[in-house]
Amino acid sequence: MLQGALAGLAAGGLYAVLAVCLTLMSRLVRVVNFAQAAIGMAGTYVAVFLAVHIGLPVWLATVVGILLGGVLSALLGWVVSTWLAEADTGTRSAVTVAVLLLLISLSFILFGNKPQPFHPVLAGPAFELGGVVISQVTVVTVALAVLVALACRTVLTRTPVGIQLRALSERPTTAELLGIPAKRLSVAVWAGTGVVSTLAVSIVAPSQSNDATSLAMLVVPAAAAALLGGFRRLDLAVVGGLVLGMAQGAVAQSDSLSVIRYFLPFGVIVALLLWTQRKEVWDAAR
Amino acid sequence: MSRGLALAAAVLLAAGGCAGSGGGTGGPIVVGSVNALSGSATFPEASQAAKAVFDAANASGGVNGRQIEYKAIDDKGDPAAAAAAAREVVSGDDAVALVGSSSLIECEINAKYYEQQKILSVQGIGVDPACFNSPNIAPVNVGPFHDMTLTLLYGSEVLKLNDICALLEIAGNTLPSYQAAIDEWSKITGKKLKYVDATVPYGGSDYTSYIVKARAAGCKAITVNPVEPDSIGQLKAAQAQGWNDVTWLLLTSVYSENFAKAISNAGAGVYVPAEFYPFTDAASPQTKDWRELMTKNKIPLTSFSQGGYLAAKYFLDVLKGMKGDITRETVTKALREMKPITDPMVGTPYAFGNGRTHHDNTAGWPIKLASGTNRWALAADDWLRIPKK
Repeated sequence: MLQGALAGLAAGGLYAVLAVCLTLMSRLVRVVNFAQAAIGMAGTYVAVFLAVHIGLPVWLATVVGILLGGVLSALLGWVVSTWLAEADTGTRSAVTVAVLLLLISLSFILFGNKPQPFHPVLAGPAFELGGVVISQVTVVTVALAVLVALACRTVLTRTPVGIQLRALSERPTTAELLGIPAKRLSVAVWAGTGVVSTLAVSIVAPSQSNDATSLAMLVVPAAAAALLGGFRRLDLAVVGGLVLGMAQGAVAQSDSLSVIRYFLPFGVIVALLLWTQRKEVWDAAR
Repeated sequence: MSRGLALAAAVLLAAGGCAGSGGGTGGPIVVGSVNALSGSATFPEASQAAKAVFDAANASGGVNGRQIEYKAIDDKGDPAAAAAAAREVVSGDDAVALVGSSSLIECEINAKYYEQQKILSVQGIGVDPACFNSPNIAPVNVGPFHDMTLTLLYGSEVLKLNDICALLEIAGNTLPSYQAAIDEWSKITGKKLKYVDATVPYGGSDYTSYIVKARAAGCKAITVNPVEPDSIGQLKAAQAQGWNDVTWLLLTSVYSENFAKAISNAGAGVYVPAEFYPFTDAASPQTKDWRELMTKNKIPLTSFSQGGYLAAKYFLDVLKGMKGDITRETVTKALREMKPITDPMVGTPYAFGNGRTHHDNTAGWPIKLASGTNRWALAADDWLRIPKK
């Protein structure tokens, strides 16, 4: 079980990074971005295309892919903050579902549905712990999740830009009347999360199944992790991601439990929703 | 007046009924197929290859002066669309037979319908168990189940590996068929697998925990029935764990140039019994005709296009040997009574025959992918066969 749990850390780190991105988006720009992982997938696929067919060095192609992920995300952010500035969170989030489906279909059209020959940025084991090899990818993703969460927290609490962002997320109209450049800041948040999620997917994709659908659907376990922090708290999002990955790794070790492994994120989502709604009165909760 | 109408309607209905018996004399011979042309997993090459064979035959005068009209319909990977595709081509277009179909679900959905319609399918690539359990469907390929027996035989008897484990990705009702394939290997060799894990998911994102489990159990070799992306994920997970002395006994589903390019670290080697003579052996005389035709028509060189090509070729041979009218009824009879046809691309001669089931192709050609080569290479100089009982 312990071995399995440690084996699940790599996946957990990735969930955590994506969960941090989701939490940031939800807090700062009032969107649950269903296309979070799909944007990462699109960036990485372009990187692979550049490396394999255009002949760029792997590191350069990866950097271009990451930047493209940022641009794609910024573009989506610009659309949402231009035409849906006053819309509620549900409507703004619905747009990202369309983008998720668009990106999956687009990747099939552009790159076919055969797996891509990814060249790993990192490969091989880092060190051994309890008889389980911890891979380099695991170390980097977990570190990335923690770092991103800490960096975001520092920015949000200690810098003028962070204060403006928080003002914007609490009272968008008031903040705009005070002269805070709402659209520019929103688009910057979108671009930032796009870059971070593409970076995370670029690190992980070469070491796991990397067809468009399974990469884009990583948003489901990430959402389960973000839900632990109620889409508000970054630290709980990181913990949620790591715990979910480890739990999935642990249950895969026993034949009788292994079946539930892929339902875990859904189970976690339902359980957390029930828990957070436990004190609601019927009429008020509707 | 109404009586006249009723009479006219009756005459029309009767005429329609007579016309519905599949391809009369004169016009083109309609041949159909149901394929995965769109959806999440596609293999359009089989029907493209079959079409290339029929086009070449048409260009040289057709069969007994009649042209072959080949209709390849898309099943979209969707059960409803697969059922509709079969009805379109069998009832709507009045096909005389189905040739070169390749789909993940088509057999399961349409086998009973083909029996009702008394039409036979020379399947290009059979995947699901129903393709090998119907009196009216006879795939030209080995199929994943015999392929699993073959890959285990190669691992235990040729590579002399003990401690083989199985990670099975089960979709739908395939588990009993894979279990039967493993049991067949046990019966031949008297050996048992170390363990079977049938809970491995399709399209899983991270397979590390399954790999860790297999390693902890002491597996020296792993047999899997993966789709390509999953297999890449499993090999990468083993690489990330630093597990470099594991042998992979896989199936033809991973035999592609793409897979070889994606895998640099293949542990102690990936071994596959190729269902047709290995297409990556470019200079081989066995694949020369097929290769030339595919290259001319710009069709990818894959196992799928080998299957489609062979299905069409066998079918043409049977058609050309027929005397008299070519209709669904006569084609069915000719296929049932055909003499076995040999081809250098397969290890087992093909005959449709009268069996209740058709699972007769039992030979694969062992190939391997070694670490650092990114190329498939021959691992034997003859077919590996499942011993006759």
